[in-house]
Amino acid sequence: MILWDTLDLNELSILIILFVGFTIVGLLPKRLPRSITILSLLWGSAGAMFFDFTIGGGLIDFYTVNDSPRYELFDLFYYILFAPFGYLFVYYYDKFNIKKIKFVWYVIAWSLAGLAVNWLFTLLGIIHFKNGYILPYSFPVFLVIQTITGLYYELIKSKNLFK
Amino acid sequence: MGFAFFFFLSYLIVSMFIVMRKKLNIVENTFVFLLILFVNINVSWIIFEELDLLTVTEDAMKYVGFLLNRSMILPMIIVVYLNLVNRSLKMFKKVLITIISISTVIIFSGISILFDLITYVNWNFIYDAIYFGALHLLAFYAQKLFRKFTFHEVNYS
Repeated sequence: MILWDTLDLNELSILIILFVGFTIVGLLPKRLPRSITILSLLWGSAGAMFFDFTIGGGLIDFYTVNDSPRYELFDLFYYILFAPFGYLFVYYYDKFNIKKIKFVWYVIAWSLAGLAVNWLFTLLGIIHFKNGYILPYSFPVFLVIQTITGLYYELIKSKNLFK
Repeated sequence: MGFAFFFFLSYLIVSMFIVMRKKLNIVENTFVFLLILFVNINVSWIIFEELDLLTVTEDAMKYVGFLLNRSMILPMIIVVYLNLVNRSLKMFKKVLITIISISTVIIFSGISILFDLITYVNWNFIYDAIYFGALHLLAFYAQKLFRKFTFHEVNYS
């Protein structure tokens, strides 16, 4: 494990996006219960990590995060970067009272936003596609993970856990 | 064979979780699962790929078996463990459940070796026991902390 390979644009970008992301989370009016806030942040990070370490490393190696295939401290920061996205997805899902047909549009909109962020990450040198992987392949990944996120949040709401 | 076996184990542990009487609510169960997934994926990557203490198979189907064990079976075993240990049991039974849970995960490591999913290089079952024990401890205290932090907003009735 190394801290970083070379400290340049990608590392700096990760730090800036992390700062902006968590600042937005902190500044938004409190809406979600504390447990859902923690869960959505963890969901974002763990989801990204699950996909990255399944299709982005090991035997199925479709992309490299940051400057080298070695595990860098900034790889970990990169996964934490997805925490605010998880939170914002659930936050606006709740705020806009997403239901039925709106669900489909909401997931598609977030998947397109995910694709744009993915593209930005390639420009900034945060991720590097390889072995035939191209940007559009990320779209089905976002569709699947965000549909699961929305459905799972509906399941949690259906349990009436919160007073 | 390795893939089929670990697929069956995944099916078994998920089924067991679905039908069991749960002491944690859905948010807590999900929190524990994601936390252990997050930690285990990172630690696995570091000890397999960075430190080369173990090696993983290059056979595609066996590799899927390895992924199932890493990302599904181990976190689910710990979730099931927490639901069992949170029942109002005597300390002896809690310790016994902890030992059984850690032993189960170690046995699954042994089966992974048997089916050539992984190979120990500079690793042994003692290290496995220490690591899995630490994961159980982490999950136990993280769940307690999570409940304490969110207690007043959740209806446990």
